[in-house]
Amino acid sequence: MAAQSLSPNTPLAEIDPVWAWSPLTPAFRPWTRELAAHLYRRAGFSATWAELDEAVADGCHRTVERLLSRAPQSDSFYGEADRSVAALLASGNANHLSAWWLYVMLNSPQPLLEKLTLFWHGHFATSAAKVTDGRMMFAQHALLRKHALGHFGPLLEELSKDPAMLVWLDSTTNHKAHPNENFAREVMELFCLGIGHYTEHDIKDAARAFTGWELRKDQFRFNRYQHDDGLKSLLGKSGRFTGDDVLKILLEQPATARFLVGKLYRFIVNETVEPPATLLEPLAAGFRAAEYDMTWLLRTMLRSNFFYSPHAMQQRIKSPVEFAIGLLHSLEGSANTYALADDLRDLGQAVFFPPNVKGWDGGAAWINSSTLVGRANLVWNVVSDRDGRYNTRLALDCLPALSGLGDPAAISRRLADLLLAFPLPDAVYVQLAAVAADKISGNQLARAVQAIATLPEFQLA
Amino acid sequence: MLASRRRFLQATLGSSTLLSAGLTVPAFLARSAWAASSEASNPKGGLGENILVVIQLSGGNDGLNTVIPFADDGYGRNRITLRIADNQVLKLNDQTGLHPQMEGFKKLFESQRLAIVQGVGYPNPDRSHFRSMDIWHTAKPEREDKSDGWLGRTIDSDPREAGQDVPALHLGPNQLPLALVSQRTPVPSIESMAGFRLQTAGGALPLASLAQLAEAARPDSPPLLDFLRRSTLNAYASSAQVQEALKEERSEAAYPDFVLAQKLKQIAQLIDAKLSTRIYYVSLDGFDTHANQAPAQAALLNQLSASVSAFVEDLAQRGLQDRVMVLSFSEFGRRVRENASQGTDHGTAAPVFLAGGRVAAGLIGAQPSLGDLDGEGDLKFHTDFRRLYASLLDGWLGCPSEKVLGQHFEPLAIVQG
Repeated sequence: MAAQSLSPNTPLAEIDPVWAWSPLTPAFRPWTRELAAHLYRRAGFSATWAELDEAVADGCHRTVERLLSRAPQSDSFYGEADRSVAALLASGNANHLSAWWLYVMLNSPQPLLEKLTLFWHGHFATSAAKVTDGRMMFAQHALLRKHALGHFGPLLEELSKDPAMLVWLDSTTNHKAHPNENFAREVMELFCLGIGHYTEHDIKDAARAFTGWELRKDQFRFNRYQHDDGLKSLLGKSGRFTGDDVLKILLEQPATARFLVGKLYRFIVNETVEPPATLLEPLAAGFRAAEYDMTWLLRTMLRSNFFYSPHAMQQRIKSPVEFAIGLLHSLEGSANTYALADDLRDLGQAVFFPPNVKGWDGGAAWINSSTLVGRANLVWNVVSDRDGRYNTRLALDCLPALSGLGDPAAISRRLADLLLAFPLPDAVYVQLAAVAADKISGNQLARAVQAIATLPEFQLA
Repeated sequence: MLASRRRFLQATLGSSTLLSAGLTVPAFLARSAWAASSEASNPKGGLGENILVVIQLSGGNDGLNTVIPFADDGYGRNRITLRIADNQVLKLNDQTGLHPQMEGFKKLFESQRLAIVQGVGYPNPDRSHFRSMDIWHTAKPEREDKSDGWLGRTIDSDPREAGQDVPALHLGPNQLPLALVSQRTPVPSIESMAGFRLQTAGGALPLASLAQLAEAARPDSPPLLDFLRRSTLNAYASSAQVQEALKEERSEAAYPDFVLAQKLKQIAQLIDAKLSTRIYYVSLDGFDTHANQAPAQAALLNQLSASVSAFVEDLAQRGLQDRVMVLSFSEFGRRVRENASQGTDHGTAAPVFLAGGRVAAGLIGAQPSLGDLDGEGDLKFHTDFRRLYASLLDGWLGCPSEKVLGQHFEPLAIVQG
């Protein structure tokens, strides 16, 4: 594949889609720390200095494979995590789940698995505000993680009968005489097809197909006495469809592959410019041929030329979770995740409590005066732990990145290389050096980190 | 803007060139049609002295059980379990009444401070929450264009000086509503007044240092980074402004203990603190009552009615009720016939509420017929919501409605005199 010169202004419609999703060629961009840091931000939350070293040595292909694979420590880590959550759920209270998951995100040997679980959580957004039973919410969460890097078909089928989902969408009963349209609408609009690829009539007949789906004693049950087994027609097909049939029909629609690819593109690659359908078509076709295998899709995206082009790099805004977990991970620190969960809720992202069925819009939606002040305050809370809420364990002066450095300006620059890994304009380095050299008493290193982590650049994923 | 506030900002932020560039309308637009037409009502230019407070009811409020056609047989026939009994309805006349939990609204109605516009909707109604809400926010039912909202366009057409108080403010934990998204002006969202304070104690970098870092020159800054820079500086400035506005506590009005009421109280304080903000926006969530509607809707309508009436009383005490108009709307009503879960599914036309000292009080427009329904069995609208927007833009905010809405809409008589 011939390398293609690309400027940030090249319209997306002019980019060859086949070239775009082919594996990165050195002639296009050599593999550097900057690219590795970008990969870690998108495929996880951030990279430590050692992770950047390792990624540069291994090259793009091996690093992506490592991120996609089950890590050697995964079994023991997740086994321990499951045991610890069982203790929390004994009370049945869902509020502990957010703190538990943030702990998992921060410490997992497989950050990509957590990132994709977060993606699906936004996609199948179900809120513990309505599904108050913690065990039910956790069961759904475990389903999402189980299928996160697997195939979409089984994920959709299991999730459609998941008790938390049925409660959330008011589908605990669906009677023959008065079909409940809510689940049918959301499964088409939000989970599979997107607006514009179905009609109100499709929804009404799909709702009839789902009649008889019930929740009894917190378990899914099919009540055949309430099932309308009459003829339905939807999406160009007719038959005495059951709910399972409708899901199969949805999985056959080309629109489904395109919709899911579009969502993952927005989550992983670029959320500032709507891509032309032609650009994503090879991904959608390949995804469908691979039976909606998420690992296939991620591998293709994360190794591609396009992913390392100016159209992807620095073209997302960090969600609150990415912002906080990324900061802590890069600084090799830990914090009280209960306090963190509260602060992330104030920034607009309470995991397990999505604002509505649509999940989190993301992008510029994260940014307003309140949340930017909140992010600045969170940074200071993390690095200084003034009021003890965070109980932060951070040893900034022991960071491997800073070993051997004494000059404040050099330290500042090195911290920028760790936390951003892309070049800043000279005027910014000058300001950072001024902050680092300022002899106000107190924690100079903390202030140096604060200066970088409050830069507009640090908001970029 | 108050000279003292300008000095305050300059002292905190220095002369922020970025802040100036971000918030000013380019000079060649300064003499807009609006500037010319509104000079009579406000010689200093810009949005007049009137304030609009928008309360969004999210989820699709069941209008039929809010403004109740209790004398119509069709009501009882279609609402087997959800029907509000005759003797519980708060009667406004011999046809129409309010949900029993809306005493506050009844009092406002009786004191000529509430208008109820019935049958509001738009052609080819969309029953998806998100699409329909987007339609109300963008005022563009015909095509999907989410680049900005009707209130965002409103503030964009206002020629104002750099560094003034923010023209609009959203009080809420969620992302900025699309209605307020503007091409040029980042509108702040604040969750609570306390959370809006930048922490500078304990050895943290002072506001001026943070601002300088955001402002340092970045040649050829890509659009996303530029957006983040401007937003960051706007955040620091807004934070300082709001802290300043809240230092004085001047009212003894009693508000009920609801989240909505507390937000409206904060708005009353900000208005009384002479912020030149003209548009405030809050949301009340939970109206998507597909199952077991009665208790959920009762609680929400109680919160709405009690909070708004406390707000209007507070404004009256502060001498501000003639300058404020409250608009309360939902993205659609619900279906006429209840479903099998003691709830209702997404519908179409619904009533909209307007409250304030100068509202043309009363019922505006007829209850849509329960017998003559559309093809899906839903109510037919008769008043396009854009007529309501046009009335508020031209008649209340002093902003040419055709610029914001793209065409002329026949206004309604919603303002007294």
